[in-house]
Amino acid sequence: MMAQNVPHQTVATATATSTASSNPAATTATATTAAATADRKRVKVYELRNNDWFDRGTGFCSACFVVIEEGQPKEPRVIVQSEDQPDRLLLETKIVKDDGFQKQQDTLIVWTDHGVDMALSFQEAEGCQTIWKFIDGVQQTFHAVMGGPDDMMDIPAVIQLPPAELGALADMENVFRHLAQSQPGREVLAKAVVTEDYIPKLGALVELAEDLESLVDLHRLCGIMKTILMLNDTAIIEIAVTDECILGVVGAMEYDPDFPSHKANHRQWLNDQGRFKEVVRIQDDTVRRKIHHTYRLQYLKDVVLARILDDPTFSVLNSLIFFNQVDIVQHLNSTPGYMTDLFAVFHNPNEEPQRKKEAVLFIQQCCAIAKNIQPPSRAGLYGNFLQQGLLSVINFGLRHTDVTVRIGATDVLISMIDHDPVVIRKTIYDSINRKSLPLTDTLIDLLLVEIDLGIRSQISETLKLLLDPTPPNGPQERGGFVPDQGRPKPQPTVDPQQELFLTYFYEHSAVKLFRPLLDLEHRPNMHFNSLEDGVFGYLNDILCFYIRQHQHRSKFFILNYNIAQRFAQLLECKQKHLQLVAIRFFRQLVILQDEFYIKHLVEKKVFGPILDALLRTLPRDNLVSSACLELFAQIMKDNIKDLIKHVVETYREKLNLLSGIDLFRETLIRYDLTQASPKTIDRFFADAEDELTRRPANAGRGMMEHLSVDPAQEEYWNTSDDEEENQGPATNGNLLKPLVEYTSDEEDDGSGDALMTVDSVAAEEAAASKENQEPTSKSAPTTPTPTTAPPERLSEKRRREEDEDDALDKLMQHKRRNSSSSSTTGSNSSMSGTLVQKKSSFNNGKPRSREGSPSPNGVGGPRKIAISISPSIKTAAVETASEGGAEENGK
Amino acid sequence: MSDLDRAIAQLRACRPIPEAEVRELCHKARELLIEEGNVVTVNAPVTICGDIHGQFHDLMELFRVGGDVPDTNYLFMGDFVDRGFYSLESFLLLLCLKVRYPDRMTLIRGNHESRQITTVYGFYDECLRKYGSANVWRYCCDVFDYLALGAIVLGASNTLDTPKSGPLAAAPGEKIEVEVRNADRQIISRFLRKPPNNGHNGNVNGMSATTTGVSSSESANGPPTNTGPPGSGASGSSGGSVGNPAGAVLCVHGGLSPLIDMVDKIRLLDRKQEVPHEGAMCDLLWSDPDEIDGWGLSPRGAGFLFGADIVKVFNHRNDLSLIARAHQLVMEGFKEMFDASIVTVWSAPNYCYRCGNVAAILELTEDDSGLGVLSRSNGEVGRSDGGMGDRQRGVLMDTDPLGYGEGPARRYRVFQAAPQDSRGMPAKKPVADYFL
Repeated sequence: MMAQNVPHQTVATATATSTASSNPAATTATATTAAATADRKRVKVYELRNNDWFDRGTGFCSACFVVIEEGQPKEPRVIVQSEDQPDRLLLETKIVKDDGFQKQQDTLIVWTDHGVDMALSFQEAEGCQTIWKFIDGVQQTFHAVMGGPDDMMDIPAVIQLPPAELGALADMENVFRHLAQSQPGREVLAKAVVTEDYIPKLGALVELAEDLESLVDLHRLCGIMKTILMLNDTAIIEIAVTDECILGVVGAMEYDPDFPSHKANHRQWLNDQGRFKEVVRIQDDTVRRKIHHTYRLQYLKDVVLARILDDPTFSVLNSLIFFNQVDIVQHLNSTPGYMTDLFAVFHNPNEEPQRKKEAVLFIQQCCAIAKNIQPPSRAGLYGNFLQQGLLSVINFGLRHTDVTVRIGATDVLISMIDHDPVVIRKTIYDSINRKSLPLTDTLIDLLLVEIDLGIRSQISETLKLLLDPTPPNGPQERGGFVPDQGRPKPQPTVDPQQELFLTYFYEHSAVKLFRPLLDLEHRPNMHFNSLEDGVFGYLNDILCFYIRQHQHRSKFFILNYNIAQRFAQLLECKQKHLQLVAIRFFRQLVILQDEFYIKHLVEKKVFGPILDALLRTLPRDNLVSSACLELFAQIMKDNIKDLIKHVVETYREKLNLLSGIDLFRETLIRYDLTQASPKTIDRFFADAEDELTRRPANAGRGMMEHLSVDPAQEEYWNTSDDEEENQGPATNGNLLKPLVEYTSDEEDDGSGDALMTVDSVAAEEAAASKENQEPTSKSAPTTPTPTTAPPERLSEKRRREEDEDDALDKLMQHKRRNSSSSSTTGSNSSMSGTLVQKKSSFNNGKPRSREGSPSPNGVGGPRKIAISISPSIKTAAVETASEGGAEENGK
Repeated sequence: MSDLDRAIAQLRACRPIPEAEVRELCHKARELLIEEGNVVTVNAPVTICGDIHGQFHDLMELFRVGGDVPDTNYLFMGDFVDRGFYSLESFLLLLCLKVRYPDRMTLIRGNHESRQITTVYGFYDECLRKYGSANVWRYCCDVFDYLALGAIVLGASNTLDTPKSGPLAAAPGEKIEVEVRNADRQIISRFLRKPPNNGHNGNVNGMSATTTGVSSSESANGPPTNTGPPGSGASGSSGGSVGNPAGAVLCVHGGLSPLIDMVDKIRLLDRKQEVPHEGAMCDLLWSDPDEIDGWGLSPRGAGFLFGADIVKVFNHRNDLSLIARAHQLVMEGFKEMFDASIVTVWSAPNYCYRCGNVAAILELTEDDSGLGVLSRSNGEVGRSDGGMGDRQRGVLMDTDPLGYGEGPARRYRVFQAAPQDSRGMPAKKPVADYFL
C-alpha cells in the first residue's frame, strides 16, 4: 500500500553522468566541504520492502563528493553513518540523475536506488534542507550539462502559464493537456503550478464560475484540476490539501464533465467541522494541521479521485498519508502529559459518558493507525498505553452498553495481542496469581451473551490467540479450520507460566466457555432460536483449535465431558448449519489420526448418527450430504483401518442402504476382501490387472485418483501400519513399482496411487523432476495413453513463492485480524500472501499485474510456466510469458 | 414476502438495506443454499453471466439487456464483489432475487467470495464505510461459504431460433450455432453449424473465424450470414464446436482441477469453508485455461493453468459439450477457446471503470425438439454407477460411440457500460468522523 512513487525521469547515459560529476565546481560550496561534523544530521533510513517501509536504522547523514579512485572524478554521495556503531554505514548512495531524488514535506527525501524505493526521514527540517540543497545542486548540474534529452527539445525549461482568469480557461486547458502528455512537460508544468501559486487562483475561479452559472467553465476547471492532481507531484498534493486550497480543489472536482448532470458535494462534506473529534486537545498546531491534511488526503483518495486514480498518484497519496501518520503517532507518544490526560478521562468518576466513549474510539483509531507504522514506534505507543492503564480501559469497554464501545475495546485488545500476545498473557498470569478473574473469563462471559456478530467473532479469535501455547515468535497457527492442516505439529516447549494458565483455564474456564454445548445433554429438544444457534459455530471453531494445540488437556476435556456425544446431538437438530458444525468437529478428530480420538469416536458410536443424517438427507444432493461424504472419503483416503472396520462391522445395514454410492460400495468390498483368504486376494488382483487394461483412462490419471479403490492397497490395508511399506510392493512387484518414490509422502493426494501402470512411469518421472524444482523441458516417451497429472505438489510451488510474499502476507494478517476472520477463515497465514496482492497496478488503463503475482512491485513481467507431464506430448515448455495481455489478467 | 419486495426495490435504486434486514436476508439465503448441491443442476433456457465486481449500474444494464428476473433465468458465475464501488448493493440485490425467485436465479462462488480476498480488494472496506461496522461483511461472508461451486446446465438447444422470413432468416436446413447480438438486440454476427462429418476430426485449424473482419466469410468454417462492424464481435474461436457433443454445460468460476476428473467428485467436497489455498475447491475457483499442454503453474499463485487436452478429456469423460467460466477479463466480453470446448464470459463492462472492455452474457436456449441434449447422470440420479459407464468408453477424442447431438447453440449478448450519467459518480463512502 505504501508504495513510494517512482518519478519517471529520462535515463541519463553513463557518460553524461560522469561528465556531470567531473564538474564539482558547479555545485554549492557548502556541500563540497567533506563531511564536517556540523553537517551531520540525525536521520532514519527507510527502504521499501514488499510494500512496507523497512527501517534500516538511525544514523547521521552527510552528503559530499567522495574520491572513489585516484585520478578519477569525485562522486557525489549521500552517506549515513550508524548512530550506534559509527564505523558502520547504513547507507552510501551515489547521486545519479535517474534516481529521481525528491524532497517531500520538510523532513523527507525519497528516491529510487537501483529499483529500490528509499527514504530518509530527518529529525530536523534544517538538516533535511542542507542535504537537499546538495542533492538538488548536483541534479541541477545534470540538467545543465546534459541540456535535456531529445524529446524535451520543444519544451522550454520554464514556462509561463496563462493568466488564471475565466477568459483564459480554454487556452489553459489546451496548454495543460499538451504539457501533460510528456514526462518533461509534466515536470515543467508541475514546477510552474507551484511557483505561480496556481492552485489557489484556480480555486477562486470556481466560485466565480458558479456565480456566473457557467457550467462550461466549471467543467474546464475540473479537467484542469484533474490534470494538476494527476501530475504525480508530491508538492502539488501537499499544497492542494492545505486549508487555503482544499475547498477550491474539491470544489472544482464537483463538476465532472463525465457526469454533466451531477454535482458532487465534496465541499459540504469537508466543511463540516464536526467531523473532527478531539478528546484531549492537541496543542501543536502543525500536528493538528497534519491530522486534517491526512483526512483530506484520504478523502481525495477514496472519493474525489477514486474513479481516476492511477498508480503513481495512488502511491503519492499513500506515502503522504503514511508519513503523516508516523509523525502524528510520534507526537502523541512523545508529548509529555498527553497520555495522562487521555487516560484521566476514565479515572474521573464525574466524566461525561460521551467523552469516555470517544476516548475509547480515539484509542481504537490510534491502534488502527499503529498497525501501519514501524514496529518500534508501535511498541512505544502500546507500551505507553499499557503503562497508563489500557487494560482497565479495555475492561471498561467490554462491559459498556454501547455496542460501538464494545467493538472498540475488542478491536484494541486484538491489536495489542497481534502486536505482542505476551504482554496481555502476562496480565492474565497476574490476575490468576492475585486470584482475581482473568481477562479470558470476562471474554467468555461476553461471548455467551453478546449479540453483535463482530464482537463474537473477535472474541473467539482472541480466545484462540491467548491460549496458543506456542512461543510468540514461533510458527503460530492463526485459528480457523483448514481440513488438510489438521495434523498435529511437534509441540515446542511451553512457557511454564502459559502452562499454569492453561491448567487454570481447563480447570475453571473451559466449562464456562463450552457451557452451551454441555447443556445439550439435558436439553429436552433441539430447537434453537437464532440467538442460541450462532454460538455453536464459534465454540466448535475454538475447540478445534484447542484440540490441535493442547494435546492432552483437550483430550481429557473431550473425554471427561463427553463432547463427541454432545456434537452428535446437534446432528439431530433441524438446522442444517448446526448439523454441519457437528460434522466439521468429527472431521477434525478424524484428520488428526490420533489413536485416542479414533478410539473415542468408536466408543461414542458417533458414526451411527452421521450415517443417519446422511440417510435422512439422501437422495438430496445438498451440503449435509456432501459434508458427510467428504468425512467418509477422508477416512478412506487416509485409510484409517480401525475406523473402517468399526463402521463396517457396526453399521453394515446402514452401509448396505448406501451402497448405491461408490464410496460405500467400495468400502464394503474392500472390507470384505480383507476378511477373505489370501487366495481370494490374489484372484482379485488378477482381476484388477485385467481391469486396468480395460480402463486405460483410469490408469493414466492415477495421480488424480483419491476416491475410488486402489486394488493394490487391499492386501495391506488390514495389516498393521509398520508393515505396509514393505509388504505392499513385495507381493505385487510390477504393479506397485511406481509407488515407491511416493511412499514417504504423508499426504498422498493420490500421488502414491497404486493404480499407476508401468506406462505412466514416464509421467511420474516428469512429476518427480518437478519435485526437484526443475521446470525445464524434458522429453517424455510417447505412450498410447494420454495422461494428465498435476505439474507438481502445490505446497512446493508455494514454498518457493513464499519467500517473495512474506511481507505481503504480513500485511494480510493485519487486515484479516482487523476484520477478525470469523469461524472458518483459512488458517495458513503463510499462504495468504500468495493468494492476494495488495493492489493491482494499472498501466495505460489496463491492469498489469495480477493477483497472486509473485512480484508485488510489479517488477519483472508475469511469470508463466507451462509444464507438460503428458507422455503423449513431445516436450514440456517453459514460457516466460511476455504477452501479459489483458485477457489473462484475472480479476 | 412484501418485505423482500421492498428490499429489492430499495436495492434496485442502489440504496443499501438496514443491517437487520441484511441479517434476515442472509439467514434465509443460507437455508436455501444449504439445500443446494456443490454442483447445481439448471435447466435451459438460462442466461450465464460472468464477473460483476460491484459494478451495480452495469448489473442493471445487464438486466436490461438480458431481461429482468424472473422473466429470464439467470446463472451468475461468481465474483459479485470487490473492485467496483457498489459490491454491497450488487451482491445483496442478487441475493434478494435468489431468495425471492430461487428457481430463476443461480449463484455460484467466485474466488472473490472469500474473507481474505474481500479484505484486500474493497468489499470489506465498503461494508465498513456503509454500515460503520464489519457485521454486514460477516453476514455476507457467511453466505459466501454456502454458495455452490458449480452448475450443470441441461436441456440446451443445439440451434437458435430464427425468424421465418426477412434478412435474418436462416436458409432451410441451416442451423445457427453461434450468434452475437448487441445491447439493442441487433445481430452482429452468426455462425452456422458445420456439416457433421467435419466434426469428427477433432482438429479444426480454421477455428479462428472471428467476426472482427470481413475475411471471416472466407474461412474454412461455414460463412457467417452477417458480419458485424469491425471490432464489435468476439475474439475467440466460435466457428463451431467439435469434440464430444453430449450436451451438458458445466459452469464454474475458474476452471478445472487436477484433483477433479469427474464432475461427481465435486460433489464430495464440504464446501462450507473459506476458499482454501490449495486443493480441488481452490482450483475450481482459481484456475485458468491457457495455450499449453497439460497442466501448468498459475501465475496467480493459486489454481492451475490447463490446456486444450485437459479440457477435451474432461468434457468427454463427463459428457460435457462446453465449460462456461468467468474469472478473466476479456476485452470482447466473451472468448471461446479450444475448439469452443470452453468459453470465458465476462460481465463487467469497462472493468474498474477504466479498462475499456465490453461485457457479455451467454444465452442457452431451451431445446424443444427433444433431440438435442440428453440428460446425463447428475445428482442422485446417476450416483449409483458413479460414472463408471463413461470410463469404459475410452478417452480418445475421435471415438464417439453414442454419437448423439451437438453442443449447445450459443447466443452472446454484448453490452457496454451503463451510460455514465445514469449512475451518479462512483466513489467510496468517506469515513465520517476522525480523531486522527
